[in-house]
Parts: sequence; structure tokens; C-alpha cells
Amino acid sequence: MEVLLGITGKDFTIMASSKAAMRGATILKATDDKTRELNKQTLMAFSGEAGDTVQFAEYIQANIQLYSMRNDTHLGPPAVASFVRGELARSLRSRRPYTVNLLLGGFDSITEKPSLYWIDYLASCVPLPYAAHGYAQYYCLSILDKHHHPDIDLETGMKILRMCTDELRRRLPVDFKGIAVKIITRDGIREEEYTDDHVVRSA
Amino acid sequence: MDTLVSRYSRPAFVDREYTAEDQEDAYQATPSLSLQFALPPVSQASSWLRAMTDDHSNPSCPIKIAHGTTTLAFRFQGGIIVATDSRATAGNWIASQTVKKVIEINSCLLGTMAGGAADCQYWLAYLGMQCRLHELRHKRRITVAAASKILANLVYAYKGMGLSMGTMCAGVTPQEGPALYYIDSDGTRLSGNLFCVGSGQTFAYGVLDAEYRYDLTEQEALELGSRSILAATHRDAFSGGFINLYHVKEDGWVKHGFNDTNPIFWKTKLEKGEFSNVTAELD
Amino acid sequence: MSRRYDSRTTIFSPEGRLYQVEYALEAISHAGTALGILAQDGIVLAAERKVTSKLLEQDTSAEKLYILNDNMICAVAGMTADANILINYARQAAQRYLLTYNEDIPCEQLVRRLCDLKQGYTQHGGLRPFGVSFIYAGYDPQTHFQLYQSNPSGNYGGWKATSVGANNASAQSLLKQDYNGDCNLKEACGLAVKVLSKTMDSTNLSSEKIEFATVGKTKEGKVYHHLWGAEEIDALLKEHGLGKAKEEEDEDRMER
Repeated sequence: MEVLLGITGKDFTIMASSKAAMRGATILKATDDKTRELNKQTLMAFSGEAGDTVQFAEYIQANIQLYSMRNDTHLGPPAVASFVRGELARSLRSRRPYTVNLLLGGFDSITEKPSLYWIDYLASCVPLPYAAHGYAQYYCLSILDKHHHPDIDLETGMKILRMCTDELRRRLPVDFKGIAVKIITRDGIREEEYTDDHVVRSA
Repeated sequence: MDTLVSRYSRPAFVDREYTAEDQEDAYQATPSLSLQFALPPVSQASSWLRAMTDDHSNPSCPIKIAHGTTTLAFRFQGGIIVATDSRATAGNWIASQTVKKVIEINSCLLGTMAGGAADCQYWLAYLGMQCRLHELRHKRRITVAAASKILANLVYAYKGMGLSMGTMCAGVTPQEGPALYYIDSDGTRLSGNLFCVGSGQTFAYGVLDAEYRYDLTEQEALELGSRSILAATHRDAFSGGFINLYHVKEDGWVKHGFNDTNPIFWKTKLEKGEFSNVTAELD
Repeated sequence: MSRRYDSRTTIFSPEGRLYQVEYALEAISHAGTALGILAQDGIVLAAERKVTSKLLEQDTSAEKLYILNDNMICAVAGMTADANILINYARQAAQRYLLTYNEDIPCEQLVRRLCDLKQGYTQHGGLRPFGVSFIYAGYDPQTHFQLYQSNPSGNYGGWKATSVGANNASAQSLLKQDYNGDCNLKEACGLAVKVLSKTMDSTNLSSEKIEFATVGKTKEGKVYHHLWGAEEIDALLKEHGLGKAKEEEDEDRMER
């Protein structure tokens, strides 16, 4: 029951991931960070098989950083997405594939546009204006279908995110310990304070 | 030869002689609340049914049960909104796009269907009958609480035998005012303000929860109900077809149409700019 | 004396030189001139094609200018056979990058890949270095239009205007003299033919003797590269008064 959410707007991408690290019926950690910074303006959020997730994310992170060092330039979000998809597709055909679902958020400094890619463990890769993984898909996509517009500002984006997390708190049977929010803009990646202690009213 | 011809050209029922048992059945053709429903002649009915119908583990199972639905109902200051889609699926096959999933039990009581289409249709029709009998026996309309309890007790009696239904009973009675109950084939019976049932329930919950308030106006409530079904038909492969919309008021329910989702979807997208992930760009 | 250091590419001479690399450079300085000029809205590459015999079938396709990738072309000076190997390598590298990243390889990266290969032959293997210099013209969204030159040692550099091959010293000084950083593609083409006309041995230029290619952007902002046809080259020569005079052309025909 890991939650991954991504929302793009006029000039930003919001990436949200649940803070609970769960194993079986236990929450091992309530401040887990399920994201890795790949370069200055791409962030990868991941969920899936325990162990695989961080291994794969850090493998990708290392390769993307190596590219930046070697070539003195960073890969744009579409190139990163293609690379990640390729690596996942390669792994899928190996003896022990990575079982990892990903959201790749970024800001393309050449086109000056935010970007978001939805990638699943079968190496499907789709660019989307908003995306989710896991059970969050079932509750949040219909909200985003209704309330998202491509040219929303950050404040509206955060408002929609709040609607999503409220709904998850209302309907998900487990406590996912709130979400960590990171925002990607032309200035880079920053963590956003996100308090989730208000009472969510049920109908 | 003639005898042969006359034997076979006679209508079959003429031959039939009614036994005393048959006569009894004619008066009691429907099962009472005790167990009288015909069961398959096997020792474990439920496991037999599971083997025959579980197309998840056995895609070539002989019986495909029609599943998959989105239904919702919620209470608000102006009564109760009931809305459903109209798709019936059997496995990956869309069996129908024009199913009436709201059963008009009487002029003040509605039931919704989700789960096995046959189970729902049969037992809600049966519930309708019991409600009418209640009315005749007691000279007043049955309460929603009582009606829902009849259904809940009934399905509980069959628990573990493979019934599959998730229904809601919505109605208004002088005793209760507007009342809403959720009943499923596990035997759960809950009263509440807001329920969504079916494979598309989460999508409907998403839209509905976000903007639900008890003091919604009638227009807002109808719009929200309809929009929630639309959300589910858009994301859930097993929901679709038409939006069936009802409003239960003090003096009975009012039907607000049976409308095709497709034009509604495009109207919503083009006029309100929603569903921005749906693009027609080819690049 | 120098014999001892000649035969092996991987060994420095006492003066600190790699003779085989220098010989390769020497070989190139006898090849037909090739030049490239960077303009505001594009790049022009031009090359001299040496017509060795009238009996030789005139190849209609370019033999000194090659397409490496959707965003890049190059001019070759030196041994064409060696160039073919490198061009094939470059094309494969570019396609591999496209497959991995779903976008064109940045120009400098492709140049560097080629130069890494070239460098390898100056250090190990006991094989001779590639006897080719390249001028590359390309576009990528990060750095926009770019012009590079590389030589057999594996060195490369970015240029505003450059030349390789025979007479490249005089071509270079002509370019230095006349190059204007704000020029557009059309003006750059003019400068290219002007320089070629002065550095080539034959007095008369024609589409048979030179090759032309440009990289630029269409009105829609899409990057294109274009290897010029004979008519286009002749039209350009005519525009700059460098084509054959009418009489000469007639004379030519009489001779044949």
C-alpha cells in the first residue's frame, strides 16, 4: 500500500510519496523517502518489491550522474525516461528482474516545460500530466481527471494534492504515515513542508 | 400411425397431471425465508460453484458470471441521489451496455445492483415481492431498514454458497425520512450517508468524497452523482454504457434520465477542460 | 635514425613525436580541401573533389560529404577508405544513443566518440592511425549549431570556420580575414565558394569539382541537413560569378 503521486502544472512538477516503510503487518519506518534525485532537475519516485526498489533507483542514479560528469551536461527528462525504461526492459528479460514501479518527474530546461513519466515494472513508459502508482491510482486518478488542468499554478496543484491525500486517508485501510512532497521547477528540486494532521471528515 | 401423430401433436401440458406436491408448489413457488432454493446436486455447493465460475484462475470456466459495475448512492439535505452505470461484463466480454441497475422496488424504494447480475436481479425482484406482501399484510409501506434487513438475512442464509452481490437500498418513509443501506453477499448491512459499490467504486469515491457535503443543492447533488459515475466509467474497464440517475425525495423517487456516457464525457472534457490526460495529438 | 621509431605507432621518438601520426597528417595535407563555416542560422560545408581522370565515372553522390545522423553531417579529408570505417562507426554510435535515450546524440559527444577511437590507434595495437581529418557540422538543442574539426591524433576542437586538406593554411587565413560572426547561411555559402575558388588549383569551379552541404532550420524550426545537387551548386557559382564562362564551356565541349 505504497502511495506515489505526480502532478504537473504550468511550471512545476509535484512528486509525492508515502512515508511508511511497511513489511508485512509492520511499519518499520515512518519517515521513509521513496525518491532519488537523478540530476539537477529530475526526480525518481519508486515503489515495489522490497530491496529491488532502492537498488534499482540508486543504480539509475549512479548512471545518470556518471553521464553528467562524463559529458559535462545533464540529460533532459525525456532522455532519462528512455534510459530508465531501457534498463528496466533489459532487466525484465534477465534471470531476476527488478520489480519496481516508478514515477519520473522533471523540468526540461530546454523546452521550459515540466514533465512526468509513469513507468511500471513491465517497462511501460508513458508521459502524463498527472500519474499515480499502487492503490492511489484507484482513488486519486478520478479526482485528478476532474480537477487537473495543464496550466494550473503551484497553489492549485497543492490544493489538488490535498484532495488526493484526504481521500486516501479517508478510504485506504492502512495508515501510510502521510506523504513527503518534493517540487521540481526550473530552479531545481526542493522539499515542500506538508502537514497532514488535520481531521479528515468522512461522509 | 394416426395414434402416433395424435400423441405427438397434442400439447405437452395436456398429459401432465398435477400431484399434490405440485399444487403445493404453485401456491408457494417462491422460497420462504427458510432455505428452499434449489442447490446443485453436489456435496460442496460453494466449492463447486467456485470451480465453475472462477475465470481468474481458469479462463475457460464454463460459467461466466456477469460482474463489474459502478453504483453509488448518497444522502443529502434534499433526499438521496442514486446513480449507476449500465454495463454488464462476463469475463472480458461486454454482455450488455443497457442494463437497468436500479431496481424500482416501489414508488418510494430503490435498490441497486452490483456483483452477479443474475443474483441481484433475482433477489431484488424477490425483495420487491416481499415488500409488497409486507404492505398488504401490514397496511403500510415497509421501512427501508426492514426491507434491507430482509435482503441481508436472505443473503446471510446463503452465505458461503457463492452468491455475489453488493446492493444499496434507498428510500423515504414517514418513520425514517430518507434512509440508505448497504447490503452485500457476505451478510454485511450498513446504514450510512454515502456508498459506492462495484469494481469502479474507488473512482466514484474519489470524485464524490472530494466534493460531498450534506447541504448540497439538488442540482449540485445530481451533477456530482452523475460526474462520479462518469469518472468510474472512464477509468474502470468493467463500467460504462449509460448513466442511470435517480433522486429519492419525500414523496417518492424521480428518475433523471438514462444517458449515454460518451457524449457526456466529450462535453465534460471540451467544455470544462477536465480529463486533460486524454489527448488526440499525434506526435 | 628515425627508422627505429617510425614503424611503431605506439612509440615516441626521442624528440617526443609520434611519426606515424605526423605522416598521417601529412597524407591529409595532400587531399582535396574541405572547409566549414558556422553562420547564425546554420552551417555550410564545402569540399573539393579531385577529378583524377576524364575516364573515371563521375559519381553522382557525394564522396567527401557524409550524413552521420539526423542532426549531423561531416566533410572528409584524407583516405576515403579509412573514413568509411569511421563514418560507419559514428553512424552506429549515433543510432545506439538514439536507441538508449530516444533523442539525437549531442554533437560534441559523437565527435568525441570518434576521436576516442582514433586516439586508440596512436597508443596501442601496433596498427597505423586513421588517415583522415573530419569537419563536422551539427545541431543539438543544448548548444545549437556547432562546427568541429578532428585529426588522426584524436584531437578535436570547435571552430567558427575551419578547413582541412591541401592549401588549408591559405584557406584558413582567407577565412580568418573574411569571416564575420554575424553572417547568415547565405553569406557563409558565398564565403565558402570564394575561399574554394582561391585555394583550388583549377581556375574554373564547377559542380563536378566541388561538393556542398548545409545544416539549418526550416521555417517551422525543424533541423535539416542538405547535400546539394549539381544544379544548386552551379546556381551558387553563377551567383558569385565563379562558374565557367560561356565560351569556355563551349570550348570544353569541343574538346570532348
